[in-house]
Amino acid sequence: MKLLIIEDEQALNVSMVAYLQQGGYTCDTALNYHDGSRMLANHHYTCVLVDLTLPGGNGLDLVRSLKKNSPDTGIIIISAKNALDDKITGLELGADDYLTKPFHLSELNARLRSVIRRRNFNGQKVIQIGDLEVFPESAEALVQGRKLTLTKKEYDLLLYFVTNKNRVLTKDSIAEHLWGDHIESLDSLDFVYTHIKNLRRKLVEAGGEDPITTVYGMGYKFSF
Amino acid sequence: MRILTKTSLYYLLVSVIVFLLGGLSFYKILQTEIYDEVDDQLFTDKENIIEYIRRYNELPNVTSGISEAIIVRETSTHAGALEALSDTLIFSTYDEEYVPFRKLTFTTYQDGKPFEYTILKSLMDFEDLFESTMLAMAWIFVLLLIGLAGVNYFINKYNWRNFYDTLERAKRYSLTQRKPLLLKPTDTQEFQELNEVLQAMTGKIHNDYLNLKEFTENASHEIQTPLAIVSSKLELFMQSDNLTPAQAAMLEEMHASINRLSRLNRSLILLTRIENREFSENEVIPLHELLQEQLDQLQEMMLMHDIQVEIEDMQPVFVEMNIGLCEILISNLLLNAIRHNSTGGIIRISLKADELCIKNSGEPLQEEPVTLFERFRSGSKLSGSMGIGLALVSKISELYQLQPSYTYEEGLHVLRLKFQKNVS
Repeated sequence: MKLLIIEDEQALNVSMVAYLQQGGYTCDTALNYHDGSRMLANHHYTCVLVDLTLPGGNGLDLVRSLKKNSPDTGIIIISAKNALDDKITGLELGADDYLTKPFHLSELNARLRSVIRRRNFNGQKVIQIGDLEVFPESAEALVQGRKLTLTKKEYDLLLYFVTNKNRVLTKDSIAEHLWGDHIESLDSLDFVYTHIKNLRRKLVEAGGEDPITTVYGMGYKFSF
Repeated sequence: MRILTKTSLYYLLVSVIVFLLGGLSFYKILQTEIYDEVDDQLFTDKENIIEYIRRYNELPNVTSGISEAIIVRETSTHAGALEALSDTLIFSTYDEEYVPFRKLTFTTYQDGKPFEYTILKSLMDFEDLFESTMLAMAWIFVLLLIGLAGVNYFINKYNWRNFYDTLERAKRYSLTQRKPLLLKPTDTQEFQELNEVLQAMTGKIHNDYLNLKEFTENASHEIQTPLAIVSSKLELFMQSDNLTPAQAAMLEEMHASINRLSRLNRSLILLTRIENREFSENEVIPLHELLQEQLDQLQEMMLMHDIQVEIEDMQPVFVEMNIGLCEILISNLLLNAIRHNSTGGIIRISLKADELCIKNSGEPLQEEPVTLFERFRSGSKLSGSMGIGLALVSKISELYQLQPSYTYEEGLHVLRLKFQKNVS
């Protein structure tokens, strides 16, 4: 799967590429509006990550032309502005998602997966890792063919782990993924701990191995 | 008290005092004049009587003269030329009331025998005249008073109209509006000076405000990108295989701090944007539904803290607000109630047509309730709390003219939001 990352901040661009390449994506990068525009004209991408404030032009124009010329390409807007107007305009123009800087790379990855999944109807309907199968369309998960009874949050957590398998996920990023902005005034880390404990128990009870490991104090890693 | 009312009242007060004093002296002067007149007549009668006796050597016919009555009585006392003036009341069978009389008593001699004469003069006519005059005067005074007060009021009102205009405009002036303070020119020197001073002052404040705002906005936005870079690098760093536990711990701490900073910055940007009135798209929101939604979302958190929610009242209430801000408002109120609660505590919620009231158990406040809605106030130093939640509540409330208030009643923290306009 080929991605184009249009982001003028070189350091951030490099980070995104590094993280996403590990997930098996091929990444092209552009550092300004014109490069981005040219690359979009010459190549076909599964998904494009585009910053709104670019040297040489507005990212929204790229979204607009992309929508016209290549409607099956997924678009995720990355912006520092967090302006509601831009968000609405972006989504109205046909962007699939909107992320505000700063974001967690794991969150970006999860959103990217979700966009690709939603756009790619003929593609992968099940994510299989070892003896675990996750069906995003029906929000179900099976272990050795046996269905897991998960709460909404536990399922979200599992999907987040599966999408970012073999990566260390910090408690903060998990909390933010599950509760969004609410976590600001929460003892969110306790919640994360409780949910992970429950998820682990359910996976083990269903006969699987415990795929979640605690990585020092940093976070958790899902691996098979 | 309005200055118009105040000057009018002072004016009335002074007028009433002047009129009362004037009336009193007028009354006194008139009374003295009347007594002088009556006494003159009595003395004229006396002179006539004495003259009559001297000329004819007999007592005069008592019915003659100006006076109403002359009473003659033989007296044995040789009191000499007794002469006394006094007031008396005599019952009149005709009027069936006591009538005031002026009485002159004197002694005169006929054939060496002393006779005591009492001449009576009714004051009735004078009294009537007196009363009519006083009444007329009173009317003139009252009319004059009303007239003068009225004229004074209107003149003042006319003179002060420019001042009120200025005051009204200054009141409506808001820094967040991008318009300068425009004031009507006036020909009253003091008011014109006031206008000029006000305009210069607000112009200066507005400039300072814009500079500060621009700085805050730029700073907040410029911080976002470096934050994103640091955060992403840390996340990549964490993926390294050969980290020592000590390094991992450091990375974790850095990452947590960067997150905290990001969230803080995001909240500050949100606050700034609310202040800038960037959320102009309003819609009619069913507050009861939104409240229920938020409660459902926070349910697991409340379960974890073993907090009971009691809904006392949940009436359908519709407000016109920006949906995003309304969600922030409600969730921050609820989060506040959860956060500052005690384990096993309660939250009582009541939503009525004119107010939303959220009560929660918990330790009493350590500081002044006034500071509660300020930025960076967190009652107890709980980790992760930035004390910005209620500042957001306060800002959003201000935007929509809701009135938030805090009280501590029966061991419960009570936060109220009063709705002013209610779309229903």
